[in-house]
Amino acid sequence: MSQLPAHDLGPAAAAFRQAVRDWLARHWTREQRATHLRKPFKDRGWDVEFSRQMGRDGWIGIGWPKEFGGQGRSATEQIAFITEMANAGAPVQAHSTGESIVAQALFLHGTKAQQDEWLPAIRRGERSFALGYSEPEAGSDLAALRTHAVRDGEHWIVNGQKLWSTGGDKAEYIWLAVRTDPEAKKHAGISVLIVDLRSPGVTIRPSLALYGKTFSAQFYDNVRVPAHHMVGAVNGGWKVITDALAAERIMIGGTRMATIERAFDRLTEYLKTAVIGGKALRNDPVIRDRIGALAADIEVARQFQIRNARLIEAGKVPIHEAAIGKVFASELQERLGQAALDILGSGGLLSENAAGAPLGEMEQLLRHAIMGMIGGGTNEIQRNVIAQRGLDLPR
Amino acid sequence: MNGSAPKSTERISDDERNLLRKSVRDFLSKAWPADQAVANSDEGQAVTRLWQAFARQGLAALGSNPAESGLREIVLVFEELGRAACPAPLLGAVAANLTLADQSSNAARALLEDVHNGDAAVALALGAFDGDPAAGHADMHGDALSGRLSFVEDVQAATQLLVFAGPCAAVVAIDAPGLSRQFTPGLAVPALCEITLANVPALNLSVASEVLADVARVARLACAGRALGAAERAFDLAVGHAKVRKQFGQLIGQFQAVQHKLANCLISLDGARLALETAAEARDSGNPDWRVFASSAVAFAGPALRTVSIETHRALGAIGYAEEHEAPRHFRRVHADLARFGGVTRGRAELAEFLLGPVQ
Repeated sequence: MSQLPAHDLGPAAAAFRQAVRDWLARHWTREQRATHLRKPFKDRGWDVEFSRQMGRDGWIGIGWPKEFGGQGRSATEQIAFITEMANAGAPVQAHSTGESIVAQALFLHGTKAQQDEWLPAIRRGERSFALGYSEPEAGSDLAALRTHAVRDGEHWIVNGQKLWSTGGDKAEYIWLAVRTDPEAKKHAGISVLIVDLRSPGVTIRPSLALYGKTFSAQFYDNVRVPAHHMVGAVNGGWKVITDALAAERIMIGGTRMATIERAFDRLTEYLKTAVIGGKALRNDPVIRDRIGALAADIEVARQFQIRNARLIEAGKVPIHEAAIGKVFASELQERLGQAALDILGSGGLLSENAAGAPLGEMEQLLRHAIMGMIGGGTNEIQRNVIAQRGLDLPR
Repeated sequence: MNGSAPKSTERISDDERNLLRKSVRDFLSKAWPADQAVANSDEGQAVTRLWQAFARQGLAALGSNPAESGLREIVLVFEELGRAACPAPLLGAVAANLTLADQSSNAARALLEDVHNGDAAVALALGAFDGDPAAGHADMHGDALSGRLSFVEDVQAATQLLVFAGPCAAVVAIDAPGLSRQFTPGLAVPALCEITLANVPALNLSVASEVLADVARVARLACAGRALGAAERAFDLAVGHAKVRKQFGQLIGQFQAVQHKLANCLISLDGARLALETAAEARDSGNPDWRVFASSAVAFAGPALRTVSIETHRALGAIGYAEEHEAPRHFRRVHADLARFGGVTRGRAELAEFLLGPVQ
């Protein structure tokens, strides 16, 4: 591998990283990886059996507090873990939303009964979740959501429509934001429900997103949800949602950086020996300049990630710092994809399954970059946060 | 101590660094007030007086003892010079401290003592170690130095010239026979200088080429730090301006177009700072990868800080466009520092070489 020098994150993180690698060598073997890569692209990354294996060996919930059965690992160690899993291409998506976002919310806002019901099962890799946030009229302005729930005895009756839920066609449960008080100001009338996606009245309509995997619309038609599946207070959902964001940032940021670094390593490794039209690409001064520029950007993106982890470890919540990391890394992914096209030329257009593709994952990387810039709060919204929270500019 | 990575452990705490920053900033606000920076820069005597005051603060010894100042402290002080638009001739002093500390000759010791007392000011010419192939070179023949050196800063206030003529460092008096100076005005203020040397008597000090290359790397990072300080100060002015300037009945800082511009600047500033700190910290802790991190820092800082500088001016509008305003000082400093020593192109080339190997 032709990598940038690793950052020394301390002996504890290094030892932990080695333990993760050792486990992967036994449980995510070359044969398993090859089998996984033979699946259609859209089905990769989600493997219930693998999630259960991870759960059995204690690898789900490593960042959870020990009182909830976790290992209480630091943010730095969690990033090391996510990076190792991503570098190995291990399929973690079946449990990752439950492990990070749902669990984080349950720690802070769940009742004892809810924690007992959900957390051990999530930790065993036996519960899969999707997020039900966006709607046709509520994207960046999430609090404008209209899907509503009305109390009926021991149930809530849910009606409405959600959009763009990653894993919505595979997950068993959805972490659903609903309006429970249509009269209140928009942030004050929202609640969060855990909804079984197999319930009567739920219709799931997956569609293929540009990056090659599905996301789903769901229609809720008088869906009955047990009242004890509400997490947090009635109409207290906005805080439940925002409090879970820190965990989401670590997970998504870690995965994105691992994706970028792995793709860059692949590109530089390829360039060392590639010859096109009788010319060694590595000697091309334009290519060398581009690679040098990307390397510097990757180093800075790593620095932003380390800063966020350190802030979390110091008991702070990175707000504008998290936005900076997200904006920079997601736009870097796009620049990397563009650079790959410029360097590889027409060959860069070819997918991994096309004959003669020089580096088939690069065009997918470029398609995937769009998600990084619009998912989890668009980069325009992130820049508002940086300006208003980081620089105190007036609203 | 020399220019290679010292095997030191953590000696200076973050708190101590914060105190250093505060004390340097306080000192500069009195010794080199921003509102007189333009007038003072044109007056050689003002820079000499400043340098003597600098020495009284102990700052002329920066870099001479790694227990008291590593690369992080060097970069920090240069940041403050950038913020204050202050042309103190510190680059040569730091290079002399790093290069000559191990020298046992009386002449070398006397020079360092004079520098630390503020009696001598050193201009630095990296010659073949500059990184810019147009910077020229000078060579020793016996005890005489000959050659041509371009883009040398601090010559206005200098008493001595330190030349990297590898594998040796040469020191010549700025008024020595055979040395001629021609100032070359441009973006850099005070102007850079071209120096021609014809058999100039020189103090010849043997220093390994690797050490000289690492000191040159320190100089690059120091100047990148100075550019960061300048860019950040100008940015602070722009943010402050956006919070009070009204147009179309509202604060311009409320316009999303302005907010997003300034948000981008903060990303660039934070990125440049983290990259520089990473490189400096790696060197201070003896990590040989500091050289790679140094390349990353200059490769990133170049385009990032130049863009900050330009966006700063766009936010300030015509108010910041007059040369009497502070902002143009910083614009000049940012661009002058980031283009030196091979600039962005060289930083990228070094990274490419690290990742892809040398061109064959």
